[in-house]
Amino acid sequence: MGLKITRGSYAKPGTSLAFDTGSWRIQRPEHRHTAAPCHAACPAGEDAQAWLALVEEQRFREAWETIVAVNPLPAITGRVCHHPCETACNRGDYDTPIAIHHVERFLGDMALQEGWDYPLAPVLDTAPEIAVVGAGPAGCSAAWHLRRRGFRVQLLEATPEAGGLLRSAIPPYRLPALVAEQEIGRLMQTGIRLMTGQRLGRDFSLDELRDGFAGVFLGIGTQQGREWSIDSATPSDLYVGLALLKRWMDVGAIPTWSSVAIVGAGNTAIDLARVLKHAGVPEVHIISHKAIPGPDVPAADAMPAIGREIEQGLEEGVIIHEHRGVQRLILRGEQVLGVELVHMKKLSDASGRLKRVAFEGTESILHVDQVIPAIGQVVDPEGVHTLLDNRAYFQVDEWGQFPERPWLFTGGDARGDRGTVSEAIGDGRRAAMAIEHFVHSASDSPQDNPGEPIGVDQLNLNYYEPGPRPAVAVLEVSGRDGYAEVEGGLERRQAVAEGERCFSCGDCLTCDNCWTLCPDMAVLKTREPTTDGSYYVFDYGYCKGCGLCANECPCGYIVMRDEV
Amino acid sequence: MTQEIEIPLAELRRNQPRFGGLESGHRACLGCGEALAARLVSESAGPDVMYANATGCLEVFTTAWPDSAWQVPWMHSLFSNAASIGAGMEAALKAQGKATKVIAMGGDGGTFDIGFQALSGMLERGHNVLYVCYDNEAYMNTGVQRSSSTPHAAATTTSPAGSESMGKRHLKKDIVSIVAAHHIPYAATASVAYPSDIRKKVRRAMGIEGPSFLHIHAPCPLGWGHDGALTIEVARLAVQTGLFPLIELERGGVAGAMPIREVRPVSDYLGLQARFRHLFADSARAREELEHLQALANHNIEVYRLRGESRQDCMDSEGADTVRRGGMRWA
Amino acid sequence: MKQALEGSQAIARAVSLCRPQVVSAYPITPQTHIVENLSRLVADGVLDCELVSVESEFSAASVALGAVAAGSRAYTASSSQGILLMSEVLFNISGLRIPLVMTCANRALAAPLSIWNDQQDSMAVRDAGWIQLYCADNQEAVDMTIQAYRIAERCELPVMVCVDGFTLTHTLEVLDLPDQQLVDAFLPAFHFDRKLDPANPISVGTLVSPEFFTEARYDHHQALLQSAEIIEQTRREWQDMTGRDTGGLLGVAGDADARVGVLVLGSITGTLQEAMEASTDTEPACLITLRAFRPFPEQALRDACSGLERLIVLERALSPGAGGIVGSEVRAALSSLDRPPRVFNFSVGLGGRDVPLETWSRALAAVAGNAGAGFDMLDLEPSRLPQEAL
Repeated sequence: MGLKITRGSYAKPGTSLAFDTGSWRIQRPEHRHTAAPCHAACPAGEDAQAWLALVEEQRFREAWETIVAVNPLPAITGRVCHHPCETACNRGDYDTPIAIHHVERFLGDMALQEGWDYPLAPVLDTAPEIAVVGAGPAGCSAAWHLRRRGFRVQLLEATPEAGGLLRSAIPPYRLPALVAEQEIGRLMQTGIRLMTGQRLGRDFSLDELRDGFAGVFLGIGTQQGREWSIDSATPSDLYVGLALLKRWMDVGAIPTWSSVAIVGAGNTAIDLARVLKHAGVPEVHIISHKAIPGPDVPAADAMPAIGREIEQGLEEGVIIHEHRGVQRLILRGEQVLGVELVHMKKLSDASGRLKRVAFEGTESILHVDQVIPAIGQVVDPEGVHTLLDNRAYFQVDEWGQFPERPWLFTGGDARGDRGTVSEAIGDGRRAAMAIEHFVHSASDSPQDNPGEPIGVDQLNLNYYEPGPRPAVAVLEVSGRDGYAEVEGGLERRQAVAEGERCFSCGDCLTCDNCWTLCPDMAVLKTREPTTDGSYYVFDYGYCKGCGLCANECPCGYIVMRDEV
Repeated sequence: MTQEIEIPLAELRRNQPRFGGLESGHRACLGCGEALAARLVSESAGPDVMYANATGCLEVFTTAWPDSAWQVPWMHSLFSNAASIGAGMEAALKAQGKATKVIAMGGDGGTFDIGFQALSGMLERGHNVLYVCYDNEAYMNTGVQRSSSTPHAAATTTSPAGSESMGKRHLKKDIVSIVAAHHIPYAATASVAYPSDIRKKVRRAMGIEGPSFLHIHAPCPLGWGHDGALTIEVARLAVQTGLFPLIELERGGVAGAMPIREVRPVSDYLGLQARFRHLFADSARAREELEHLQALANHNIEVYRLRGESRQDCMDSEGADTVRRGGMRWA
Repeated sequence: MKQALEGSQAIARAVSLCRPQVVSAYPITPQTHIVENLSRLVADGVLDCELVSVESEFSAASVALGAVAAGSRAYTASSSQGILLMSEVLFNISGLRIPLVMTCANRALAAPLSIWNDQQDSMAVRDAGWIQLYCADNQEAVDMTIQAYRIAERCELPVMVCVDGFTLTHTLEVLDLPDQQLVDAFLPAFHFDRKLDPANPISVGTLVSPEFFTEARYDHHQALLQSAEIIEQTRREWQDMTGRDTGGLLGVAGDADARVGVLVLGSITGTLQEAMEASTDTEPACLITLRAFRPFPEQALRDACSGLERLIVLERALSPGAGGIVGSEVRAALSSLDRPPRVFNFSVGLGGRDVPLETWSRALAAVAGNAGAGFDMLDLEPSRLPQEAL
């Protein structure tokens, strides 16, 4: 029976559903997850966007589990990381970046308080065993990720305890000893077999490890101070920055000079300066080739130390001489009386390379009792001579794999191109992935590229509200004794608010914009997450491909593709 | 990621957590602002409503017999009588003792021009009718001819720009003030760029016993000359520049205005649309007309006090042009 | 109960007896008394309905349309310019198959301006798709108004009941107004299948493509043609209940064997009847009153006219440049008879000109002998014409 005209030509409700407007389409909207800049920028590989989303929903444990799937030590990194994620954060182009490290610390602390265990499957007795040398951040991370991947792990540490410089060199006002102890302790309860007092080259050799294990990771760090002299002159009682810091951490005492000049611009220099200041040294100077970080200072010219630490050091009275170099040591015999400083800057030479230039006529004298170099460390060659080949650091690929020694991996400070806890943690994870591939002789290569992060221009900022970055309690300068933690943590509501402030770059915010704004009702909402993890599907039977949803997606999660 | 179609879409569609007054399969152009506005209105008004629709795009693209995109009782009679049809429906429902609300609706032509008298009569007689005007600022259904709602200097097929013309010579009729001058309980403007605001205003109007009026700015990609993907963007800029203030009037007096978070220059709005292209010519007249439109926007901002004290202060959460993660998630 | 009522008052009372729920109207002479009387009935609590005093006839018709679409019995009334102003809506109402009843208090159309009676207004909308019924007197106006609701609701078509302005609307007549019980029994409570209803939300007033438009028009056309039977049926039912034979498609009076007939619409009927009864010296004639102009009762007309040699059609309207409207249609309808009568078509009483008793003798004189059977204005005064018209 064919179609017959109705009396008065009335139509029945909703009958337009028989009309396929999807056939008009020349472009189709699709969901596409793109890495958030925080994810791409995280040296450890954390997808902060993902766990901030969970924080906003107050699914704290899931948020924490999301972090520890990448970084087992969030209470620690939340305190000590230089958080490049926040520098990359698209929100910085709008008002202020998300306080990602504060939220990370909040979650890390919550996990310790609540006694949350890492989500892990039991390890099989028959699983391949991997040796990890060095229980610092890189070794701990490698051990953890190997453990997560089902390997048996033998963790060999030269000192009496795990943690490396987390427990030996980062001062407690930045990282309270209890936090480090608890978080590392929890990690050591996961079935990783830790043997302390085991030093490579003394107690065991690389060859023994090669023969005894399916793979080996060297997380031995840089245990030797870089050699330092000015025109071959060194003070008789030369203290090396890191060693001095470690000694203070170890025995709780430090020589109290009346004035000290620390040469260097990294975290060790700042940490040491502040420790000395806390210990009562009246005058602590830092001599830096670089500038104090600031909005107008290019990253390449800024002191590499964490900005916040520099700021707090300055508050505490540390004097930073930026763009200065030590030209001459003023010695009586071998006793330091002072240093001659000169203005210095990195300038490009004729070939375009950056070169440090001292400006004649800018010399000045600084009277100090002691000069302490904090200019970096190198790998202790003991037991690894053959690997170093007279270099200061190991030369390896991005996965930490040694050339011609496919069973051997490294990461962290020993690589030389690293220098932070988070990078070490990232290295440990990447090495674990590569080791897994090596052990299982996988034909493909491991993948760890979040991809090109989504730019702020791909977001629709009209949909976000301005909101303040949370302020945390900071200890008064007078109360900073070197031990009490300087910065406080976030309150729960502050953490949630940061989750709310997060733009959710490149990931569905479940904001309903597409569902609300589609003029063709071609976006349907689902009760359960769909295969792509969002709560929406496109009904291509009706979608005309106008692209409005893509334009109005705040997060850049919808892209238009040509129909083929 | 390509979506895997394994979800029974028809069933999912039937069970969406919103009232589906207007269905898919209508024949509006890509990115049609009016289609979106009409769905938002019908969704907010709910099922117990009877609609009177003036002739125009909305009527044509929703009811090409035998198809209808409406899931609500709906009637189109003529171009100029939507308000009167609505009044008749309301009188009948009142006589029958039913609480069903009547919504009359039309485009700017059917409201500002040809249906203006019927609208005025309906308002004056105090019918319990919500009148919704979908304003796309010209006669789009007949091919983009100027209406009394067409803004000053916009080019249409009957007010083209040329060597002797800068588009429409006259000003856009201030319909909401005229309507409000009937001393009706509620009159408001809204924009498709602010759907939560539309919902709020529709709900407000639905709760009023007596005539109410909602004037919704709804871009027409075809008539305005912009990509369909930019419908919301363009509508939002109309608000953000001050050219289309979002206001509420009660009994003739201004009762509220959505503040503008960050006032944008009118050129941001005009520059996206081909109908204003001639204003960007390198000529004194073009510059003057551009300034004229800026002055009109400034005037609105001043009259309705649209500028907040600071970016933070004039943040509009109630208008809810902002989003929250999972804020709308199906509970 | 017999009582003396002004036509408008009687019509208002008849409408009231039909219990409309919505009445909407805009004032225009000579329709005003009908609406004023209805307003009075509402004010006095006799009639319980929504009285909507609109801002134009366009809205009057639109409100009534909206009301019926929403499921209520409705009523409106107008005249002359008002009919033209609502004409767009009239076409719409019928195309949507809306059962509405309205009164047209017939009046001339401007320009020149005239407030007086002729039937140019309803004739101008004869193609609007409505049933058009013409009343000869106020008893018919009452009866046919009530019948109109029955017809409209049976056919789902609108009905325009035409009553001559002033001649009927402002004239006092003794007539029988049925009681409410009788009307309630005759006219069931309003029920409209296609009413708008949230529980069954249809869409009314769609866009129909060329593929189906012809069928939609044909369906409408058939509905009007088929309404002829309903009109006759309703007439019989009314007669059964009241004993009065009013309504129907057409009425035939006078000498059944006559060879000359006269066809009229509306109130001229009475004048002609009186004149024919009085003139004993003229040849026998029959009087055909066309009550339904739409549907056009072709067959009934042929039946009534078979055997006639001459038919005089008197009408109160004009299609300038063509001639009579009714006359042309009658002539066309009768052309299929084996021996169709010669049709003589005259306009009379335009713009309120009095139609006296002498009209009949004048008409007979005009068709005597071998006069041409075309169109003429029977009551034209050539002395009043400008040179250009002569």
